[in-house]
Amino acid sequence: MPGVCRLRLRNTPVTDDELAFLRDDSEMADLFLAEALDHLGTIEAALLALDERPGDITLLNDIFRPFHTIKGNAGALGVTSVQEVAHKVENLLDLARSGRRTLGPADVDVVLRAVDVLSSMIRDVGVRLSGQPGADLAPVARALIESVDLLISGESEVRPKPDTTDTTERRPDVAATARRSEENGAIKVDTRKLDSLVDAVGELIVVQSLIQEDPALAMRLEERLAGNLSQLKRITVDLQRSAMALRMVPIRQAFQKVSRIVRDLSRKADKSVELVVSGEDTELDRKMVEEIADPLMHMVRNSIDHAVEPPAVRTAAGKHPQARLTLSAYHQGGHIVIEIADDGRGLDTERIKARALERGLIAPGASPSVEEINALIFEPGFSTAEKVTEISGRGVGMDVVRRNIDALRGRIEIATAAGKGTTFTIRLPLTLAVLDGLIVGVGCERFVMPTTGVRESLRPLASQVHNVHGSPRMVQVRDSLLPLVSLGELFALPHESDPCKATVVVIQDAGSRVGLIVDALLGKQEVLIKSLGETFANVRGIAGGAILGDGRIGLILDAHGIVELERGVSRAAA
Amino acid sequence: MTEALGGKYLTFTLATEEYGVPVLRVREIIKMMDITEVPQVPPHIKGVLNLRGKVIPVIDMRLKFGFTQAEITSRTCIIVVEVAVAARRALMGIIVDHVLEVLNIVADEIEQTPEFGDRVCTDYMTGVAKVRGTVKILLDLDRVLGTDDAALRAA
Repeated sequence: MPGVCRLRLRNTPVTDDELAFLRDDSEMADLFLAEALDHLGTIEAALLALDERPGDITLLNDIFRPFHTIKGNAGALGVTSVQEVAHKVENLLDLARSGRRTLGPADVDVVLRAVDVLSSMIRDVGVRLSGQPGADLAPVARALIESVDLLISGESEVRPKPDTTDTTERRPDVAATARRSEENGAIKVDTRKLDSLVDAVGELIVVQSLIQEDPALAMRLEERLAGNLSQLKRITVDLQRSAMALRMVPIRQAFQKVSRIVRDLSRKADKSVELVVSGEDTELDRKMVEEIADPLMHMVRNSIDHAVEPPAVRTAAGKHPQARLTLSAYHQGGHIVIEIADDGRGLDTERIKARALERGLIAPGASPSVEEINALIFEPGFSTAEKVTEISGRGVGMDVVRRNIDALRGRIEIATAAGKGTTFTIRLPLTLAVLDGLIVGVGCERFVMPTTGVRESLRPLASQVHNVHGSPRMVQVRDSLLPLVSLGELFALPHESDPCKATVVVIQDAGSRVGLIVDALLGKQEVLIKSLGETFANVRGIAGGAILGDGRIGLILDAHGIVELERGVSRAAA
Repeated sequence: MTEALGGKYLTFTLATEEYGVPVLRVREIIKMMDITEVPQVPPHIKGVLNLRGKVIPVIDMRLKFGFTQAEITSRTCIIVVEVAVAARRALMGIIVDHVLEVLNIVADEIEQTPEFGDRVCTDYMTGVAKVRGTVKILLDLDRVLGTDDAALRAA
């Protein structure tokens, strides 16, 4: 049997004639790809749970069924390479399901690998359907099939006992929650449909406010009309809220990736780590769930590699040999909070300080606070690790983490105690789609400045403004002297050049503050963020567009880009 | 190659010249609207407009092809077209002097773009059609407006 399989596998992966069917029916192809990836996600969740409770028949079925579906679909659509791999794994699972085998950690490892291989094969199908050349996954698929064969043939040699440690109680049952949500009566909707719904609702809100503000209507406002108008407004706002809620998904997907990484890494690093997850039902914008997964994985990787001590060291320090990593998500004051806490050795503030002095990140003789020192781990290329391991220590990572979180308009904080552990707290806005903005005017254009980047605004006195080379370049705000940037000058718009007649908005980007000169503050508004698209991908200082109350588009300013632009401009001028 | 070019074209004028774009790519024609300027882009990119909740870029075809800017008249139109930008379909608006008509141009009427030498860039023309004695320049929208546009990328 194995010989036959290997022979047939010559053609794997996915030769292009096997895509003939899918190419003809792109809708079917999309559905197949999305469903398969979805199933693989379910399988992965169940596998991780199975690792804790080997032999659990419900879990086994949760793994077997989706594998079977993938195999069936792939077969029906002619994607033989995927079918073959799924079939092989199904054989192994079938042995377990019929009670002839208990899946031990080695089996789970292989099946997890099969999930990875299948995911990449299926993504590869998508890539090739879009007309790009695919990757050569045949060797990977072959290697996987061989290891499954090996496991099946060596069936009698290892039969690990079901492992029933107390830790199982503490890990939430991922598969069970996944099942629950399926039973909630959910349907799958193309995200593009959702986006167009949100667009349409956005438009509705604009029209609604246009009507409400219409002067002709305001003149003859009768009670009945006023009542109906406010009713319309209320319904529109409700509708907007529901439309937004449609794009929200539980953070579970991101957390699941983390559980997988904890499992893989703790084995690789020879450390025993227990992951405690809570709040995986907390909902946030779909896009954010996707974007936050990578930073989370980076941080967990760092925690396991650097923070968590080997079991012997932990025992010597009087701690439980098994380290505990807590991952939680919850709502707080209009934000989503995600916490990653370990009970490892904590940040070594002294060493970070020494390293920072060495690298010139803090001036000799300066006395930064503990928080400031700890925040230095987010600087590019900063690492105190003595050895670079396979997992981490190259000093890339934490700066990327902060950049990603900044891009989501979030914040990250560290709390640490030597020998006790470290907690990272990430605060994210509820959704990426809406932004609280300050509307500022320059010339006849209006811009939206995200309020998260605004510290204060003021109209400076002549004595506060300092000229450099004849034009106002600095402003004194209390004790600090801030560089002045004229938005009108930066974007070549007609503008008020005297800062004492204009308004200065103090914006903050990471550590630096800048005074932005605008003609006027026009108000505060919650706006829907719209991408400007590929055409304007290279425009700096602009983060997108928003449709303002009168239907015109206001550009959303990007504090980071403006600070960078200003630096570029002043460097060019110098 | 020319046989595939026959079909319906929406024709419009820029100064004294007539142009055509495949009608299947045209989403709608709207009158001139309020456009929000975007900084740091070449002058032919006029900015963005709000098309019923969608933000779409607007290109002034006169400036794009090196004509002088024209007064906006009641006949000035924005044609909303679908363009492949970075392997995705996106909507864009093009400002034209005025829209003429939808013409059924058969492949026989279309000639391959003549060589003009270095002075005229013909990359974004799919051909030239002679219909009832007038010459219409047929545009390859993806080339004119899509990622191939070097000016856009360099901006």
